[in-house]
Amino acid sequence: MSGPGVRRIDYHAVLPYRYAAGRTASRFFTELRDHKRFMATKCTCCGKAFVPPRPVCGECFLPLEEWVEVGPRGTLVGYTVVYFPFLDPLTGKERPVPYGYGFILLDGVSTKIQHFIEETDISKLRFGLRVEPVFEDARKGSFADIRFFRIVEEP
Amino acid sequence: MTIPEHEAIIVESKLDIRYSYHVGPVAARFYEVLEREKRILGIRCGGCGKVYMPPRALCGACFVKMTEWVELKDEGIVTNYTIVHYDEPMRPVKAPFAYALIRLDGADTPFIHILGETDLSRVRTGMRVKAVFADEMPGTILDIHYFKPIDPEP
Repeated sequence: MSGPGVRRIDYHAVLPYRYAAGRTASRFFTELRDHKRFMATKCTCCGKAFVPPRPVCGECFLPLEEWVEVGPRGTLVGYTVVYFPFLDPLTGKERPVPYGYGFILLDGVSTKIQHFIEETDISKLRFGLRVEPVFEDARKGSFADIRFFRIVEEP
Repeated sequence: MTIPEHEAIIVESKLDIRYSYHVGPVAARFYEVLEREKRILGIRCGGCGKVYMPPRALCGACFVKMTEWVELKDEGIVTNYTIVHYDEPMRPVKAPFAYALIRLDGADTPFIHILGETDLSRVRTGMRVKAVFADEMPGTILDIHYFKPIDPEP
């Protein structure tokens, strides 16, 4: 759109990047990819377990050398349903809407992760719902190996 | 529990962002004159007399609305620069090249652009440069293709 006094400038910024995930995250992602299980690092001082795992406890400043298997089920502790279509900066493409998105507290973990939620009817989402991951068939060693979390009924 | 050593995971990703914005009436005039007439306009503050390039609506020092347009020369000096060695697709040209802050004659503020037809080992602050206009005008600051040195040192 342009005309006298009106001008629009369009930009397309593409920034590819790569980095070594490091020893701790590499363990986490290979376990996720090869065994579909979540591994957390646990602090021997405060007892917190971290997913994604970190090599040092942020509160105790101790190296985290103890690994524990956690999840895969967890609790929904925050959620939204996205209706506004926008370009996913990771792919440059629009993600079909609507889609659910939430914070999940995996069983046995002290930290929350964010991921997609299968349910897109927001009236069916609520704090405290039990959820479990649905994995992709072809996994590459990233959080995208989880397609989304779905609601599970538990007695 | 004991877990064997695992392979090193390399995370490959990218940011791929499209965006657009309306530049507002002041910058719109600047770009129109640049594109159609190959002239570079600055704007002068009626309060402090500072000439801004690129032009803006308000003087940042005086908070005065600026209305006095000033034609600038297509020549100026390099006030600072950096040599880019790392190639990225979003850069306007292939590395290696130089980004420079250029203050045009008649302006008080420098703006960022790229240097062309330039021996990168000879880029210096204070060197004089001249605008080379692009054959195809994209309607952005890249209507100026690059700045090239005037009277390169022997």
